[in-house]
Amino acid sequence: MIKNSSLPLGRISLFLAILVWLALLLVDLVRIFGMINNLDSGITKEVTWILEILFFIFVYLVYRRIFWKNRQSDFLTLIWRGVSTGLFAASAGLLTELVYLALGESKIGTDPFLRNVFYHINFALTSAFLIFTTLLWKHLILYQKNKQVVNQWQVFELSILGALFFVFFNHNNFDYSFLFGLTILLIISILLAVNLKWIPYLNFKEKWKTLLFLFLIMGCAGVLFYRVLDSGNEGDLQINLTDNLFLMALFGFVFAYGLFSFLVTLFNLPTSSVFEQKLTEAINFQKLSQSIQPEESEEQVLDILLDSCISASFSDAAWIELNPKEPFQVKNPLRFLDESTKTAVLSLLPQETQTWVPASLSEAQPPQAIRITHPNYRSALLVYLLVNKSILARIVLIKEVKEGFNKEMISIIGTFARQACISVENHRLLNQAIENERYQEELKIAQRVQKALLPLKLDHPASFDICAYSNTADEVGGDYYDTYQVDETHFVLIMGDVSGKGTSAAFHMAQMKGVFQSLIQLGIHPAEFMNKANAALSKCLERNHFITASIFEIDIVNQRFCHARAGHIPTLWYKATEKAAEFISIEGLGLGILRNPTYKNHVQEKTFEYSSGDILVLLTDGILEGRKETGEQFGYDRIKKIVEEHHQTSPIQLQQEIIDSLHQFVGGDGMIDDDYSLLVVKFK
Amino acid sequence: MLQLERIKEGNKDILRLIGEVDASNSVLLDQSMQEILQQGATFLLIDGSQLGYISSAGLGVFMSYLDDFSEQGIGFAIFGLNEQVSEVFKILGLDRLIQIVPDKSTAITLGNEP
Repeated sequence: MIKNSSLPLGRISLFLAILVWLALLLVDLVRIFGMINNLDSGITKEVTWILEILFFIFVYLVYRRIFWKNRQSDFLTLIWRGVSTGLFAASAGLLTELVYLALGESKIGTDPFLRNVFYHINFALTSAFLIFTTLLWKHLILYQKNKQVVNQWQVFELSILGALFFVFFNHNNFDYSFLFGLTILLIISILLAVNLKWIPYLNFKEKWKTLLFLFLIMGCAGVLFYRVLDSGNEGDLQINLTDNLFLMALFGFVFAYGLFSFLVTLFNLPTSSVFEQKLTEAINFQKLSQSIQPEESEEQVLDILLDSCISASFSDAAWIELNPKEPFQVKNPLRFLDESTKTAVLSLLPQETQTWVPASLSEAQPPQAIRITHPNYRSALLVYLLVNKSILARIVLIKEVKEGFNKEMISIIGTFARQACISVENHRLLNQAIENERYQEELKIAQRVQKALLPLKLDHPASFDICAYSNTADEVGGDYYDTYQVDETHFVLIMGDVSGKGTSAAFHMAQMKGVFQSLIQLGIHPAEFMNKANAALSKCLERNHFITASIFEIDIVNQRFCHARAGHIPTLWYKATEKAAEFISIEGLGLGILRNPTYKNHVQEKTFEYSSGDILVLLTDGILEGRKETGEQFGYDRIKKIVEEHHQTSPIQLQQEIIDSLHQFVGGDGMIDDDYSLLVVKFK
Repeated sequence: MLQLERIKEGNKDILRLIGEVDASNSVLLDQSMQEILQQGATFLLIDGSQLGYISSAGLGVFMSYLDDFSEQGIGFAIFGLNEQVSEVFKILGLDRLIQIVPDKSTAITLGNEP
């Protein structure tokens, strides 16, 4: 292959070819002069042969360059170039003939030198035509190449190369060795001539043009061949350039491949519409599979599908009906028929197709060919489009002939329909993914908002330390804690837990915060607080939701706290004097369970005195119910033990210890399937 | 995992809970109870002897039927709860609103005495 170099190789070759041709002409004229005048010109015939071979080689290089530049052109353009070269060479030959006919037996007419100049011109043009056409045939033969074809071609090229130098062996005699060489080259040519895979790619019109061009090429080759034979017989020509195995073999090859191509193209004419149809189908299929772009609508896919089905089946009319449940419309559902015709044809279809969901349709089924008895139409094809096991649409194709849909059509339409369904399904999945992405974003926002509902800073006096922790099972949760300073000496601690988890729990948690914040302002005591909270929450909680809560009102001056519990996990109280912890046992029903005034009978409050070093640990059930793989729960006793062991540490350290122990307990395979929160208070 | 079994014994419908009731399957429990009530049950017993765990969402289901039971005069009791599950009912205070009895034989006799 010639690389794209800066040297104008084509032009250099052309220049050299002309130069060699001129040299050849000059040498031959000198030789003729010598022969006529019986002088020894000192130039042997080998010089002529070498120049001739060089000329062939340079012409080959010129045309190879041209082919390299035009390798993307279509067949017809290339073949046309061959035709024009041939026409030029042939007409030059005929013109020479005419000139000599006109000159007759005049002096110029019989001048051997002039005759030789014309002969050389014709030789050059004929060679150019043959070499060009050979390269053209090569391009066509190797259009769909495989290793075998390439090998065959290489054999041919090598043989032709041999033929080029054959003249040194044979000395331009027409003998058996010449005939033998020619026969072998002709056989190889014929073997190569069966590689005609480019022809099916031509459409009907192109095939006609190709036939004409091939005819012209063969005509030109014929004329030129005839002239070569003719000139070979003329005795007064001492120099014979054309009785050359190379040129003869090229004639043979050009003619053989031209004839084969002509015949095959001719016989392909009647079937070319089928090939064109297949090509259109392939393109349609590609269109259908490409139209999955997110910005494109399902409507476009269906539009392409309808067109593709019509062209694949040569239908005379068609329409598409969308499932009434689908949210979109096809702009142009009727093709080549009007609404009334559609209604008429629809009524002719079998009973089960009149309704939208035929009883038998659960899986994708092949298109169904139906005979109809309409004045204009005789056959119909019913195609259902299934997306996610529900019918997206149906297409009805109709034809004027009976049994107009053959097996191949039904199969290709089935394939089209499936591809369209896949496109639509992919389109929907993509949209769903985008939607999910958006929900995720929304949940993140909810998470941020909810985090803000928990206090950043916990109000507390210098007389006790406090810290808190909360984690959610899902993005948002239903646990709540807060502190509130009633006055200089009174502080309130509160913890709440909404039943369930996730989004619904989170909304109730927000309501709980509102209710608690309002009630705290009233300065009421714990039992009354729970009673009022129950009344308020009963109005806003769903029937199967409840809230558990714990409240502590701490009097730091008198070192005591008043406590009430509404169904919440009992609070762990570490008593420094006893060096032991216990869960504060007190009766109390969860909020929202009993939604009437009798609730107050189910809640108590109790006041306890604490001393310095005492610890309160408020928890939610998420901690206690943290479970190992085996199902064992973290439970009360473990927490109690941890607190007793770590009572000397700061609340934050104790809290961390509990959380770490919990995580260690559940391990990698266990789970904490609930929101969990912790509030630790240590009195100084 | 939760499995629900329905048995009828005398005038009582027994719903046996096998496994665990959590947020994901509390709907199943709700559906079963709804079904039993719609079929005109007069006394519903929950067999919790094979119940390993119940979350607050599961408790919420029982709670939501309490008003219906008292309004329609339907008897309701739970029996056979293990210690851990029983504790959950107690802490929430539900044991004050729902009859929780130790075993089936006791549960069967409920409401039969004059």
